[in-house]
Amino acid sequence: MASHEEDCSPDTLAFMELAIQQAKLAMDSLEVPVGCVIVEDGKVIASGRNRTTETRNATRHAEMEAIDILLEHWQKNGLSKLEVAEKFSNCYLYVTCEPCIMCAAALSILGIKEVCYGCANDKFGGCGSILSLHLGSSEPLKSHGVPQGKGFKCTGGIMASEAVSLLRTFYEQGNPNGEEGCDITASCDVQFALIVSSKASQTSGSTGNALNMHTYSLILTYIWVLSQVQNQKLTVENI
Amino acid sequence: MTQIEIEIEIEIGGKSSTFQTSLPYRPTNNNPLVTLLYQSPHSYILLCLYLCFYYSIQYIHSIFIFHKLIFCVSLYACIVNVFASIIDPKLANTLIRLLNQIAPLENLRHVKRIRKKQLEGGKTELLVILCLASENDSHLDTMQHDVRELFNSYQLSAFITKVCKFPASSKEEWEEQCKLWPTSYHPPTYNIDGITGFNEEDSQSVFSFMRFAVELAKSGDGLVTNAAVIVDPSVKKVIASARDEICSWNIPTNNQTSSFKQPDTCISQSNSNRIIAHDTLPSNGSTSKLKQLCTGASCLYPWRWSEQELYMPNSSCWHPLRHAAIVAIECSAARDRQLFPDLGDNEDKSFELDHMHSSTSSPAKRQNLENVEDTEKLDTLTEGCHSVAARPYLCTGYDIYLVWEPCTMCAMALVHQRIRRIFYAFPNPNAGALGSVHRLQGEKSLNHHYAVFRVLLPEEVLSVEL
Repeated sequence: MASHEEDCSPDTLAFMELAIQQAKLAMDSLEVPVGCVIVEDGKVIASGRNRTTETRNATRHAEMEAIDILLEHWQKNGLSKLEVAEKFSNCYLYVTCEPCIMCAAALSILGIKEVCYGCANDKFGGCGSILSLHLGSSEPLKSHGVPQGKGFKCTGGIMASEAVSLLRTFYEQGNPNGEEGCDITASCDVQFALIVSSKASQTSGSTGNALNMHTYSLILTYIWVLSQVQNQKLTVENI
Repeated sequence: MTQIEIEIEIEIGGKSSTFQTSLPYRPTNNNPLVTLLYQSPHSYILLCLYLCFYYSIQYIHSIFIFHKLIFCVSLYACIVNVFASIIDPKLANTLIRLLNQIAPLENLRHVKRIRKKQLEGGKTELLVILCLASENDSHLDTMQHDVRELFNSYQLSAFITKVCKFPASSKEEWEEQCKLWPTSYHPPTYNIDGITGFNEEDSQSVFSFMRFAVELAKSGDGLVTNAAVIVDPSVKKVIASARDEICSWNIPTNNQTSSFKQPDTCISQSNSNRIIAHDTLPSNGSTSKLKQLCTGASCLYPWRWSEQELYMPNSSCWHPLRHAAIVAIECSAARDRQLFPDLGDNEDKSFELDHMHSSTSSPAKRQNLENVEDTEKLDTLTEGCHSVAARPYLCTGYDIYLVWEPCTMCAMALVHQRIRRIFYAFPNPNAGALGSVHRLQGEKSLNHHYAVFRVLLPEEVLSVEL
């Protein structure tokens, strides 16, 4: 997935340079310096930068900003959903940092054609670092034809050093707004609990009647899973 | 397959019994699943404890609380031997300094080096850990060389004692540990509220907020969508609420009003628990109809947005990513900006001035500034219950109630926004990211972790009453 700079076309580098400009704009506004541009037919049609601090909405990443611009623009031009989907399937995203899990999922939902990013995102990355959402769903289509996750082509490591140095400068100054990067060193324990209403257990006709129903109007079953395993199916037997 | 031995202590109403058992340990899987079935003599509940071991089997050393039943799962491997010695209190400082230099307890930072023991007659005795002892050979010769020198020069008398190898992960566990040898306890930075139980009041508010979310999900024109309700659990107040808005989102005013609306059943009288659960069970509505209705929930079929033309023919404004959770986050951010407008406006030239106002958050000082427009605006907007000091950092400390398990995008958005707990009613087998397809709450690398709870409701609650 990673590629070296010498392999990149001049166009790719030029677009990434524009994304870095956006990241610098973010930095000037005391935002985490990440920027992006969206390209269709060799032309930049939207750009975006982080606005999480300004909006106090931590989901306002550069990608989301650029996507919103496009959606608004295309709808103003009267494009239908199908036409917009068609448009997205011809778009390239150039972003200075690997899209996070949220953005990668959003890009998959929109069905973007290709993503080129600068540095990897070891903490949140959704294109290979933590999850690999760009690969789409490996499962075949379900029988009733529900579309599964769409994949997209993804290339990393383009002008990564520039992207990293921006981020490093920002964090060395000290992020005035967030607590990014200093949160949790403790290992994560997964907590998963099922709240079972007593009503539900009664109607299911189980051994529930033997319980002190008046004492425990709720059965709280804690399944404390210390795991980071995915797709772990949890079942409660015979409550 | 190897077996590991564990000791289980069960305490019911003061009576405690201990038994030992072996459990299978599957080293092939990084996270071996150990299933422990125990039939409680008290209530005939078959309780399944699924312990997924993390890294290694030794990592689990926890106390599970199940109402009044305490399950103490302790592992022999969690205890290490150390050399300890009784010392003269006058020498304590010198010895500890020396010992920390020559034999620091690197991997036992949670273990206190010194222990004070109360003797009869009000006397105290000081014990100090000298160094680690080997597992099998407890002879003094195995002691580290320079510790031995120290030991000889101060003429100490060493003995073997046991300490806990891993830091406690709960207060209860810590209390247990301290019986062995005192340790320090730092409550985890991630939230584990609820894991030790919901009391009746908490359970009630969970149910009423979930019911609020379900009602919101059904409030559309026949189409059930996902709904999200962000709640500040400390005051049991709705911060923001939203439905899916992928088809039409031209309703900002509607959002505004619903953002501050309280569910009327918020804090109801005790003993109404079952009634609330019961109320939400209208029994009409067939399953096939439900299935059709549920396709309105965008988290269930996030990739289907381009096909959904038929559901909302008159939509002028649409957005494939405006899932309920995303919209709710936006609402709460908007509320934050509205209630606490003087912070974070970086471009504003009066930033510094505003900042000064914000630092004068005590009521007395604010009185002096009552002519200042900003301050007045702030006071009226805060409805008298929010001070600037109470300004939240994103959604820290807030809970969210979702009818369906969120998709990957929404689940990650909730990580970004620092939601404390997620409650959802129905799983999302297609795209769910809290266990169905992915499990974000278990991704160790993320910088925030929420606790996830599923509130079991019958599917019939979704049927729209006509």
